[in-house]
Amino acid sequence: MSTFLEPADPAPTAAERLHIAGLHSPSDAVLSVRDLNVSFNSENGAVNAVRGVNFDLMPGKTLGIVGESGSGKSVTSLAILGLLPATAEISGSVRLKGKELLGLSDKAMCAYRGNDIAMVFQDPLSSLTPVYTVGTQIIEALTIHNPGMSKSAKETRAVELLAMVGIPSPRNRLKAFPHEFSGGMRQRVMIAIAIANNPRVLIADEPTTALDVTIQAQVLEVLHKAQEETGAAVVMITHDLGVVAGIADDIMVMYAGKPVETGSVDDIYYDPRMPYTMGLLGAVPRVDVVEKSSLVPIDGIPPNLLHTPTGCSFAPRCPLVTDACLDGEPSLSPVPGTGYHQAACIKSGSLGGDVDVHEIFSAPPVPVSRFDLIPRGERSTVLELKDVRKHFPLTKGALLKRRIGTVKAVDGLSFDIREGECFSIVGESGSGKTTTLLEIMEFHKDQDGEVIIGGISNKQAADAKTKSAMRREMQMVFQDPTGALDPRFTVYEVLAEPLQNAGFSRPDIKKRIMELMNLVGLQPDHVNRFPNQFSGGQRQRVGIARALAVNPKLVVLDEPVSALDVSVQAGVINLLDKLRAELGLSYLMVAHDLSVVRHISDRVAVMYLGKIVEIGEVDRVFDNPRHPYTRALLSAIPVPDPQFERTRERIILQGDLPSPLDAPKGCNFATRCPVFAALPAAKQEKCLTLEPPLEAVRASAAAQALAAGPVPPSDQQFACFFPDGELDEDMLVVHKTAEPHAP
Amino acid sequence: MTNLNAVDPAAVAQDAHLESADVVIAKSTIIFRRFMRNKTAVAGLAVFLGLTIFSFVGGFFTPWDKETIDPFNIGMPPSGVHWLGTSQAGIDLYAMTVEGTRISILIGLIVGLVSVLVAAVYGCTMAYFGRKVDKVMLFVLEALIMMPALLVVAVATSGGGDGLKKNLPSWLLLIIVLLVFSWMGTARLIRSMSMSLMQRDFVKAAQYMGVPPRRIVWRHLVPNIGSLLVLDITRGVTGAILAEVAFSFIGIGIKVPDVSLGVLIGGATSQVQTFPWMFWVPLTVMFLLTGSLAMMNDGLRDAFDPSSSSVGRAKKNSAEKKSK
Repeated sequence: MSTFLEPADPAPTAAERLHIAGLHSPSDAVLSVRDLNVSFNSENGAVNAVRGVNFDLMPGKTLGIVGESGSGKSVTSLAILGLLPATAEISGSVRLKGKELLGLSDKAMCAYRGNDIAMVFQDPLSSLTPVYTVGTQIIEALTIHNPGMSKSAKETRAVELLAMVGIPSPRNRLKAFPHEFSGGMRQRVMIAIAIANNPRVLIADEPTTALDVTIQAQVLEVLHKAQEETGAAVVMITHDLGVVAGIADDIMVMYAGKPVETGSVDDIYYDPRMPYTMGLLGAVPRVDVVEKSSLVPIDGIPPNLLHTPTGCSFAPRCPLVTDACLDGEPSLSPVPGTGYHQAACIKSGSLGGDVDVHEIFSAPPVPVSRFDLIPRGERSTVLELKDVRKHFPLTKGALLKRRIGTVKAVDGLSFDIREGECFSIVGESGSGKTTTLLEIMEFHKDQDGEVIIGGISNKQAADAKTKSAMRREMQMVFQDPTGALDPRFTVYEVLAEPLQNAGFSRPDIKKRIMELMNLVGLQPDHVNRFPNQFSGGQRQRVGIARALAVNPKLVVLDEPVSALDVSVQAGVINLLDKLRAELGLSYLMVAHDLSVVRHISDRVAVMYLGKIVEIGEVDRVFDNPRHPYTRALLSAIPVPDPQFERTRERIILQGDLPSPLDAPKGCNFATRCPVFAALPAAKQEKCLTLEPPLEAVRASAAAQALAAGPVPPSDQQFACFFPDGELDEDMLVVHKTAEPHAP
Repeated sequence: MTNLNAVDPAAVAQDAHLESADVVIAKSTIIFRRFMRNKTAVAGLAVFLGLTIFSFVGGFFTPWDKETIDPFNIGMPPSGVHWLGTSQAGIDLYAMTVEGTRISILIGLIVGLVSVLVAAVYGCTMAYFGRKVDKVMLFVLEALIMMPALLVVAVATSGGGDGLKKNLPSWLLLIIVLLVFSWMGTARLIRSMSMSLMQRDFVKAAQYMGVPPRRIVWRHLVPNIGSLLVLDITRGVTGAILAEVAFSFIGIGIKVPDVSLGVLIGGATSQVQTFPWMFWVPLTVMFLLTGSLAMMNDGLRDAFDPSSSSVGRAKKNSAEKKSK
């Protein structure tokens, strides 16, 4: 191309020569990837999944690869390990300690896999073989790469590994089968297997996505420890900018199979130069700040990788797009004024740190509901639960079923939702959130407790007419937008179903459907499409439109955005916010992502083992959590702010939710409580024998003195005897390595 | 108020992108393409269609029919007058084969289609209601499975079914008896598939909207097991043809004067040495019939299987692109 402009460099650099000679200096990268390209065949033609990935991984460092689904993150990792199907076409170079890995036969790769380079997969439930004990599987990894190792040495090493990843009584657990472990524990075992042979490179592909937040914090901690012990370099693949903020040294942002921005973690988070990165950062709600601005939505969907883009691949979604952007795909080039930071944007020079993301992406203004001005007590109630219980008997024995215990999935739940407000329930899986939703959606008159929907109690719901009147007041939006839409229905049929059922006439149905499409921001001519012709975010919009079809007062949202990508998630959250304001809807939301809850909710309830342990206004509860469990949950949420992440104090809860059989008699949380662990024995007795009631937060004496009149009773309630108790030091973790860039 | 209500420029762009790039290929197109890629299956389909057409129009090409006796040609091998020869009684074999093939195909198609339909509705209903309904319906199903079909067929088509026999031709009677005993296995399969469909959110969504159960079963469950149903229809057709042949062979299925492939084969077994054409011709037709269905079934399974690795055309495409 421009050979005559810049002097051609016929002689490769020193490092290149060493690479070619198969040698490498000790300071060199442990894993170096050059110009990696992967393409697959599909029914539509060849898909270029990865297009030119380059990176060098230094020993002991962590590289975070971030991007939305389909950006080629996982394919990159699988290509490095040589795990892609034979039909994939791979080109480029992957050198591990200077040795080329691409092109090696499967057999030759086996010498490296699990030895020098190891992987932790996303789903711990399916990554372990159910028919072998955990010990056998760890020892298997050791045997393959150390044939000479004695049996007892292997066993000692396995025990050592299990202890390292924090599994209690490792010697006994060696003989346990995978099903005897919880998800978090299995992921620990996976990490133990991965580090068994002291790998130089550890690739973790979304290692915590399938886990609860509290367990996620534990596993990230284990991963961090494993890295410290083995000195391995880690490639961390994730879509969650929060997860990598605390542990990565360098970040690579991928889009449409190409890295679009690389740099140190501080560069990326505090000084992003590529509009896509800026959008991603603006799209993530924060759990730690009161936020009264809308999120940044990145409209559109990633480009089709069937065709080689002629311009910048992000141009169709970029708000700053100009004609110059469409002219050739920009390559990664250094950001002016910085050393290491690279961005693939022709405007990277002008996009400094002081540019406001909300302005660039024209984030919508915060919608204001007509109910916002009316005090909560004066609004009418749309849903009320009074002492709802759902107990499942636990039986044993094949022929004669003996009742050996009770699972209290929901145990005496009471709350109410007023018009125009969003009420969220949060908690780990197994805390009874979903059962609560089911109890509400599948109301019937024989329930234990009372469910009042729009003024009608479930006790009156005997005939079909009352039932359908109640159903009309309340509709549901599901977690998985793909599963919630019948694949054989067009959008028109999907939206017509509730309307037909409500007895609308044909012309009315048509009119209403057009209204709905407009309301949720879909094209009216999309009604003839099938769900598989939409992107995830659009499908969720169809799901929301279906829920709104019969004009309900209350919409039940079951993890409405957890299946969506960050950028799409922001658009759906903004839509929900807008609909609530414009239509005066109330929401009942179940979510595990506390940042989303904080962004969208007015009130929140924290559930633990079927009981509400803390309830109140979201800002009060999140800023001033009283129950130790709420505190632990909040501290487990990763925040997309590297500085904050490095210095923050975390409460790492020990273990998992206790089995319902050995649930404590007194406070449910006592077995894992960081306050309880630090209490003197006399006070512990109280926690173990008495059940703490839900009590309102009393204003402190000082606050009472400050306020002239009587202090109004607070909305925040919690269930703990010793909210101000000291926390147990074993459960507190602070990363002392505040300076990650030490050489 | 917000940019969500306005026509979304990104959505428009995406729209154009979706349409221009033919990203979205209708599922039926994909299935058709995959099926056509399997040459064996296409050959099977051709043979089957050919036999069907032959069985309906084949009779017009010969002056003989299945009842006319040609006294001058009794037990004659194939010749110019009788293309496939004649039977011991002097009836033209070609005419009988055409007639027999038609009856066999008719029995196969009707039994295959109707039994799968019955199975679909029965299985889906069981899965939808669960609990007691499921238990009772499952008991009925198990009872039918344990009933000796052979004996019932024998009784119905001979001694016990005298009243029936007067009103119905024997092939229709056989169809009814085969139907009663052929849908249970499929129904069990469909029950378990529907049970997993019941867990899907779109069924729950319909329930929460208050859609009546009958509509959920018919509109949501049955179409979603469609691909399984198609496979089961071809399997059912083969099964029914074979059952008819087997029953007629041992003399309890179709009764003379009705002709079917089974009757022809059964009648000729004792004379393989003396009148070999009487045995080999209907046998070949039967092999062609069941063989073509088996070949088709293979291709259909490939086409419907979502995990199928059948992407042959795309490979060719990419190769073409590269060469350009």
